[in-house]
Amino acid sequence: MNTYVLVADSPAVSELVASAAKLGRPVVAVVVGPESVAKAVAAPGVDKVLWVSEAAGQAAEAFAPAVADLVAADPGVVFAGRKPAERVLLGAVAARLGAPVVAGATAVAAEGGTTVVTHGTYGGIAVATVAYDGPVVLVGDGGGALAGGGTAAIEAVAATPGPISVVSLAPSTVEAVDLAGAARVVSVGRGLKSADDLPLLAGLAKALGAELGCSRPVAESLEWLPKDHYVGISGQHIAPDFYLMVGISGQIQHMGGCRGAKLIVCINTDKDAPVMHQADYVLQGDLYDLVPAITAAV
Amino acid sequence: MKIVVAYQWAPDPQEATVGESGTVDFSRAKPAMSDYDATAIEVGRAVASAAGASLVGVTVGGASVAQPVATKAALSRGLDEVVVVSDPAFESAGTLPVATVLAQVVQGLGDVALVIAGDTSIDNGARLLPPVLGALLGWPVLTDVQTLQFDGTAATAARTLPEGVQTLSLTGPAVIAVSADSAKPKAPGMKDVLAAGKKPVTVKSAADVGGAPAPEGVVRSTAKPSGPARKGIKIDTTDPAAAAAELLSALRAAGALS
Repeated sequence: MNTYVLVADSPAVSELVASAAKLGRPVVAVVVGPESVAKAVAAPGVDKVLWVSEAAGQAAEAFAPAVADLVAADPGVVFAGRKPAERVLLGAVAARLGAPVVAGATAVAAEGGTTVVTHGTYGGIAVATVAYDGPVVLVGDGGGALAGGGTAAIEAVAATPGPISVVSLAPSTVEAVDLAGAARVVSVGRGLKSADDLPLLAGLAKALGAELGCSRPVAESLEWLPKDHYVGISGQHIAPDFYLMVGISGQIQHMGGCRGAKLIVCINTDKDAPVMHQADYVLQGDLYDLVPAITAAV
Repeated sequence: MKIVVAYQWAPDPQEATVGESGTVDFSRAKPAMSDYDATAIEVGRAVASAAGASLVGVTVGGASVAQPVATKAALSRGLDEVVVVSDPAFESAGTLPVATVLAQVVQGLGDVALVIAGDTSIDNGARLLPPVLGALLGWPVLTDVQTLQFDGTAATAARTLPEGVQTLSLTGPAVIAVSADSAKPKAPGMKDVLAAGKKPVTVKSAADVGGAPAPEGVVRSTAKPSGPARKGIKIDTTDPAAAAAELLSALRAAGALS
């Protein structure tokens, strides 16, 4: 029985490969993408690569049924990351295997044919250890690039794409950020009154040598910052040395994305906000007074 | 031609209480429709009107999904009719059993050109329901879609990836998960609420869709989420400059700032 890691276009799957290896079975990476990705994934910890070649203009999602076929030939536990195409491949495998879908797993073990998983429930407000009869599919943090020097064989697999194709890829007008890899992060929430006040936060982040993130509403409803800036269960998962939350109430959807931070500081006017009980340092007060004061003091 | 919106009527885990041993109590949480699903209906309405299709809402859940307050809330957002599968057996059911029932309902409706869903569920957050549903139907799936055009057979969708803005084309039928920024849902007006009371509602039980789902796993133990324990140190903010100095010296002492 194999353990599978699904890869779509990006070889940033180090966390998934590490988790898969813990099951003690051969790790097979199923890669949809150009050959360079298949080569990058043939890394230490991966025993075999099944490579579905994706030509220019093809979308990884178009190969989801083919990926499901490959895993169904010898079913096992399957890992994939949270990116759009990765989830579509994983969903196709879950449907084909009839396997339970698990998010937010912190431990996975095989006991014969049973898969025992410790994972967050209801978006991470609680944790359960559950024994599943047979394989499961797990969606989680992809991680970074894999180490070089692997010797895994790459086996090319022919597949016919479904009716999805990429028409164009236009450069985004917004700069990409690397929140997941940042040592310090400052995030802003709906406590900020206007997008015009964002430079206040950008100035603080710059002074602290931090990346600027935000809560989901700031990125998705208000659209003050790009979508890849928001921290939360469905957004960026971060574990910086220091996380400063400004005007964020600290609902579980947000805290699920930053629980691993070594130190959390919050600034909030609301003494009853959930974040007040989930921070190391609590500054109850107006961000318009405190943010300039901290920026000036650094 | 029909366009389906798969939506969820469920209690918000933010209102649930979690016991010391990790047991989750939803008794004080009121079920509702999330903003993600309201957005999906808004997108569905625009797409259905443009393509001359009827817009059917479909949901699977516990007893509350069939209550008039739930079906009216969904219908008042612009759906033409709803089909709800309501059974205590589907309370907190997993992604695969829910997708299996949704797929069955969609197939039963016939002439469905597109299924639209919200970006994420409110209670699970795995964001895999649309991919599993699409695979069960044998249809292509796209997620994180910000703009969607559909002419009845072919769709054009765009989304923002770290690499840039990607535009894709696909031929239907298909399953599309739309992002929270794909539309701004309007609050239903009095006219919408009144009209909702007259729209068709079909209620099915577990028995109508092949029976109650088998439990997906056996829970061995539950716990509260662990993470670093938080210190909860309050810093007096009466004087912002003094508060800033105190915070910075604490951060430097902790090695979080040089």
